[in-house]
Amino acid sequence: MSQSSAAQDFVANVQAPQGAVASLAQEGQEGMGALPVPTRKSERWKYSPITAMLARPLRTATAPEGWPGDVEPNPVPGLDAYRIVLVNGHVVPEACDLPVADGVVCMPWCQAVEEGHLADLDWSGYHRREWVGAVHAAHAQDGMFLHVAQGVTLDRPVLVHHHTTGDQVAACPRHRIVVEDQAHAEVVLWHSASNGATGMVNGVLEACVGAGARLGLDKVQHEEGEVFHLAHEHVTQGKDSTFRIHSMTVKGHWVRNELNAVQEGQGAHTIMHGAYLPKDREHVDNHTTMDHTVPNCTSSELYKGILYDRSTGVFNGKVFVRQEAQLTNAYQQNANIVADAGASINAKPELEIYADDVKCSHGCTVGQFDEEALFYLKSRGIGDKAARALMVQAFIGDVLEGMGQEEVAQEVETLLADRHGWS
Amino acid sequence: MAYDGEDKILEEVTGKAYEFGFTTDIDSDKAPAGLNEDIIRLISAKKNEPDWLLEWRLNAFKVWTDMVEPEWPHLQYEKPDFQAISYYAAPKQKKELASMDDVDPELRKTMDKLGISLEEQKRLSGVAVDFVMDSVSVATSFKDKLAELGIIFCSMSEAVQEHPELVRKHLGTVVPVRDNFYAALNSAVFTDGSFCYIPKGVKCPMELSTYFRINESGTGQFERTLVVADESSYVSYLEGCTAPQRDENQLHAAVVELVALDGAEIKYSTVQNWYPGDEEGKGGVFNFVTKRGICHTRSKISWTQVETGSAVTWKYPSCILKGDDSVGEFYSVAVTNNFQQADTGTKMVHLGKRTRSTIISKGISAGKSQNSYRGLVQIMPNADKARNFSQCDSLLMTDQCGAHTFPYIETKNPTAQVEHEATTSKIGEDQIFYCLQRGIDEEQAISLIVNGYAKEVLNKLPMEFAVEAQKLLAISLEGSVG
Repeated sequence: MSQSSAAQDFVANVQAPQGAVASLAQEGQEGMGALPVPTRKSERWKYSPITAMLARPLRTATAPEGWPGDVEPNPVPGLDAYRIVLVNGHVVPEACDLPVADGVVCMPWCQAVEEGHLADLDWSGYHRREWVGAVHAAHAQDGMFLHVAQGVTLDRPVLVHHHTTGDQVAACPRHRIVVEDQAHAEVVLWHSASNGATGMVNGVLEACVGAGARLGLDKVQHEEGEVFHLAHEHVTQGKDSTFRIHSMTVKGHWVRNELNAVQEGQGAHTIMHGAYLPKDREHVDNHTTMDHTVPNCTSSELYKGILYDRSTGVFNGKVFVRQEAQLTNAYQQNANIVADAGASINAKPELEIYADDVKCSHGCTVGQFDEEALFYLKSRGIGDKAARALMVQAFIGDVLEGMGQEEVAQEVETLLADRHGWS
Repeated sequence: MAYDGEDKILEEVTGKAYEFGFTTDIDSDKAPAGLNEDIIRLISAKKNEPDWLLEWRLNAFKVWTDMVEPEWPHLQYEKPDFQAISYYAAPKQKKELASMDDVDPELRKTMDKLGISLEEQKRLSGVAVDFVMDSVSVATSFKDKLAELGIIFCSMSEAVQEHPELVRKHLGTVVPVRDNFYAALNSAVFTDGSFCYIPKGVKCPMELSTYFRINESGTGQFERTLVVADESSYVSYLEGCTAPQRDENQLHAAVVELVALDGAEIKYSTVQNWYPGDEEGKGGVFNFVTKRGICHTRSKISWTQVETGSAVTWKYPSCILKGDDSVGEFYSVAVTNNFQQADTGTKMVHLGKRTRSTIISKGISAGKSQNSYRGLVQIMPNADKARNFSQCDSLLMTDQCGAHTFPYIETKNPTAQVEHEATTSKIGEDQIFYCLQRGIDEEQAISLIVNGYAKEVLNKLPMEFAVEAQKLLAISLEGSVG
């Protein structure tokens, strides 16, 4: 069997997609046949081969009996938020707490499709561009649909908690967020996995931010087990809108975050921040595309990573400035610390600029902890371990402090401290 | 904001015809178009090459036929038809050259037009020039003086005849036949080039210089340059290029290999001003060049380039920092105008401990051109305390052009320090305004700003070259701001 045909059916679908979703699944199947399977020779995937994921067959899971008792539906202590929870791509209604307010529609994605809230299922077109996108579409399951009407501000954030459990499971959650003009919404995306879970999470989030609207995403990946996590976020922005994402990878066996933001209205502002601290043999890949298509927009990108043990990190940030996008101000910064021999980082900060009256800059550094600063702390009676912890906290501190929900930032810091023995 | 007379200046500059666009009529001994084993045998036979070299070429041809042309550069062009190119054209010489006076007067005229009269160079600047015209070296000067020090500086074909052991030992060691599509092609069909060997402990007293020139219509140039600096030696090597105006795209696929043995230093400077095509983007040279140097312990290789010509440039002068404490440098100014496309940069591969590299790249885009920087900094696991600093700046002159940066940073060592920074901006309006205020006209102001912008790189050029480079920058750019 050739590699591509093996890859073609490496995911078995236990429940054939029903109704309107079936057409998307059909397109996905076609895409899987037509698009090239990423290999080390594919420019976009050269640092993140998926060979290991394709080696063992996966299957989508049936709807769970209920929410697992040993997992908190709200993993963030003290976070006052609406909640939609999923297990292996299926919404668990009894554990959800959906917002009910004028101008707010929030429901499971499949229900939104059935009720006709989503006319354009294939809006972002990811399954036509990337093979893994086609895999997602072919097995698309459930997720969150959130629509915030013009001028409405959602009073509390919505927490979307996806939990993966089981052996060789394929989960394909799909979310859609629409924030109409002048509206405001904050969303927390939390990914967890049970100990011993294996398989793949292949999620897609599509978001449309209207004129003058604001959307904030706090995204946290904290997954036990050995799950391959492929995430794609596609966001379009209207005039004077703001989109912010903080993408924190606390723990994950193999993670690839693919983030696209397209500015379609003048005066839009985009913030893409992220941090990754993999250890052992973990792999974290952040692929971002900032697309400036209209004049007078700004973007700010900051990704920081510390690579421990034999982990590998990838940062590939692309900033496009189209010919019409005069007076763009784009900034991109990626800082990495390779903490141990055996760890490695591959960074590709790219600028592709077709307009002249712009200010674009990017910086990328790879280094280590400042020995002098360490010495300074030690000379003041702070032990080596505590001193290093302090410096790590300072290093990723400027990513953490911009997060939308303070409780989430706090929890991320606590989890990191536990994991890396800072506390 | 628009300035008075801006359009006029733009027109003047963009309307400037290619200055060095002339053709010299010399009888030339030209092989039929097409590429096959027989052509390779013909080239080899014409050059009276030993069997091992013919075998090497034939092997390269075999490798090349299995390879595909790379698609990854940020370039759009019509791929050359490799069967439509004539792979060998040697200027016919009337007799053996005993002195400069014996050189074909037509050729002499060409040199004069280029402003590189050999006598003058000999007398005034002490630069030895190995002049390559359509692949065959026709004149070499200062040879005797260099020979006294044991320095070998000759054409590649001469080196193959007279120093086969040196050529055989080093040829293809830095850029292997399989390296890439164009390197394989070059290995199969290279016609000539320069060879330079600096013996142990010798500091070459003068700058070695070769002028390349494409002269024959439809002949690709396939130079092969090999510079070997033996232990603790030093050499500064200059390479400059001009090509006559032609309507069809001409292919240039050169390979340059530098070997810096323990403690040696090689400084390699290039000014490239090949025909970039006309204002409509018609014609121009395809410049697909593989340049790479290998640094042994405590050695240093420094690449400096000023790229203003060629319709399409694909060029990454690289350093393999194999020995401990070795140093690699890359300084580049790349200017693109009209429909020119450049995808250029460098690769710094850190293998040895405490290896250091510096990359300074200045891109200037005007007209409707696309200018890309593509660079790789690779720190391998054993390269403890390796250090790299890269700076890539782009200056945009019009709203039709593009400036792109594609750096690749791969670090596998926890003690390495890598820094990369890049900026892209328009030429400063406030800077121009400041100059105008002080009575400096716009054209001069732009020249001042651009020269200041590129100064870090221009400063690295040998003096004779720096003058030429500044002239080229002036021709390519002065006043071409939008």
